[in-house]
Amino acid sequence: MAIDKATRQQMMVKGLERYKQEREYFNFITNLLAADPNEEIQLSKEVTEITVARYDEIIRCAEEDKPFIGGYFCAAPEVYAAMDLPWYLIMQTPFLAASAPYLLEDVDAAEAMGLGTDWCTACRLSLYYIEAGLSPPPTCMIGLLHPCDAATMLHQAVVRNDKWRDIPMFCTDPPYLEDQRGIDYFAGELRRMVTFLEEHTDRKLDIDRLREIIIESNKQYELWLEYAQLRRAKPCPQGWGMGGGQCFAVSQIFQVGQPRGTEWFRKLVDITERKVKAKQGIIANERIRYFWFDLLPFGWVFEFMPWLEEEWGAVLVMDMFGYTPYEPVDTRNEDTMFKGLAKRNLYQSPMVRQARGIADYFASDIARVVKDYDIDCVIWPGHMGHKDGSASVGIMREICQQLKVPYIHIGLDLFDRRYTSPEECKDKIGKFFSAMGLG
Amino acid sequence: MLSGWFLHFRTLLSCPVSIFDSYIAKITEYVNKMKADGQLVREYRCKPEIRELLEGVPVRTGPAANQGIILRGDTFMELGNPEAGACAFLVWTDNPSLVSDGRITLIGPDIPESPGASLPFGQVLIVAGPSLTSQDHRSLENAQYIGGHIEGYMIRSVPQQMWSRVSKEAAAKGFRFESLGRALMSIYKTQIPSVSTMETLFITSSKGHLEPLEDMAIQVRQVFMKTLTEEWKAKGFDVYECSLGWDCQSCPDQVVCDDIKEIIDIKKVAFQENRDENEISHKDS
Repeated sequence: MAIDKATRQQMMVKGLERYKQEREYFNFITNLLAADPNEEIQLSKEVTEITVARYDEIIRCAEEDKPFIGGYFCAAPEVYAAMDLPWYLIMQTPFLAASAPYLLEDVDAAEAMGLGTDWCTACRLSLYYIEAGLSPPPTCMIGLLHPCDAATMLHQAVVRNDKWRDIPMFCTDPPYLEDQRGIDYFAGELRRMVTFLEEHTDRKLDIDRLREIIIESNKQYELWLEYAQLRRAKPCPQGWGMGGGQCFAVSQIFQVGQPRGTEWFRKLVDITERKVKAKQGIIANERIRYFWFDLLPFGWVFEFMPWLEEEWGAVLVMDMFGYTPYEPVDTRNEDTMFKGLAKRNLYQSPMVRQARGIADYFASDIARVVKDYDIDCVIWPGHMGHKDGSASVGIMREICQQLKVPYIHIGLDLFDRRYTSPEECKDKIGKFFSAMGLG
Repeated sequence: MLSGWFLHFRTLLSCPVSIFDSYIAKITEYVNKMKADGQLVREYRCKPEIRELLEGVPVRTGPAANQGIILRGDTFMELGNPEAGACAFLVWTDNPSLVSDGRITLIGPDIPESPGASLPFGQVLIVAGPSLTSQDHRSLENAQYIGGHIEGYMIRSVPQQMWSRVSKEAAAKGFRFESLGRALMSIYKTQIPSVSTMETLFITSSKGHLEPLEDMAIQVRQVFMKTLTEEWKAKGFDVYECSLGWDCQSCPDQVVCDDIKEIIDIKKVAFQENRDENEISHKDS
């Protein structure tokens, strides 16, 4: 039976409660950062500011009954921007508010609900927020059937949720192989996504507007690429606190194809370039340059990443989200734009690129990063949800052996500190650095 | 023509033909066509011994030759920006007679002629060695991304794209495509001793001139990926597929999953106890 308007209204009120709390949390962080004149801190402040702006936008749409989307990443957000459709990442709480005090309680509540502890905590939490009515119900939803088992299960569960099952959902079907046929097919999927969005919202896609958005977004990727090269410098100008995560958030979530996002990238490049010229590293004595081949451990990031710098002089030079395999989307015509977006979202966006496959990306990306960034060791954190990557551990280990670069697989939960505690991780990493003669 | 006849002859004699031999013939045809079309084609012949290759190269070559990165403001010219066009690939053969050792071919303008330019860039490396096999392909492929091995020349870290910069300083010293070709041949012959002969082809004339090469590059990559898949399989890496219809109850590995869940439970209890103890001692103090 379809949800009536009053019930939807109640769902919205409840769904916005937590959402508004999170906005306040980011407002608080923004104000805190605003007090620090350091220009890198100001860059971080801008990221939290645009995060708050997105929260505001979604809240406004929800309260004024205007269309907005619940989405995932790597589904051509340039299209949403061109259609003027605000969207929120249904997974954003685990990523954005991972240091929030309620995270562990939420993990337990998800478990108490019967959600298995063997699927990715980020996906598990996302489903919990929907099941518990803590996410604002969108007008329609764009899901993703890749890169991992948990993402697929999440969408299967959402589509059957008794409150959300009336929310129309569309998932693009991703091909596995990397070839022209795959690109053509996925471009067709993105076109079907547009048809779906036009059907369920009052918005139409204007191709000229899409071109404008893509042209601006191409500028962002070009600047990001410039920035990524700057991290090759010795000493590395920035560490774990600035880089891939922010660049990804700006270009693929909060400022897709927007001039403000481009300006943010411009500042990032200018600041970093000055540091490179001045040979100024993130720490005074850079001893170990490591490649962190995953997301950061959002649930306990402040207890672990600074420790690597302070205790070992170990600098995160590159990570999975900071690596830039992007190329500009060809804006000559509609066909080239959709094919370019297909390529960007299938083969170039982080995690989807490696985890969906082809599996050899794990090997070839390591080979390239180790060489170009002069990496001393590769850390595969081995997040419990990244079973796709775990299946490729042998491939990664072998390529590292060929490259003669030390490799470690930790085995942890990026969001739940209880799986492998920060202390255990420190112990393991410390022994690894010592044994490899890096420390 | 000659190489086509040679391939045919080898096939008739049932000699093993390296998988990319036919592409070497196609590359030769491509260069000949460019000459016939009146394009500016320059050829340089270098003495192919490692110690002689670097003679006259005006920049340092070798590990850590390129100190640091080339910033925007220090760039003399750019090659292979995706908008200008780029294409790079490598073919190898176990038959050195198919390769003109030490030859560098340039189609289009050279570096000193292009200050401030962003030129299309094609780079084709042809390497040979009697002991080369498909297992060498990855290391041959990786070697073309030279990291910091050539002073004043930086390839951007973007997979499957040959997008590079030449510094003003290197250009002022006289760095040109002949230097790049010599440096690349020296790097290959030093790093991969099984490479005995090598030649290079650079194209900077136009994006359109890269198109025939792009088709070849796609085919070469497909062949490489196929051999790579077989290689991983031979080493024991293969797709582990669930053939039980996702029925965990009948999966022989279910015990592993159950153990993991049990350990997680134990760790959570321990974490909670630890936290409670800390809170009590905190209150007491």
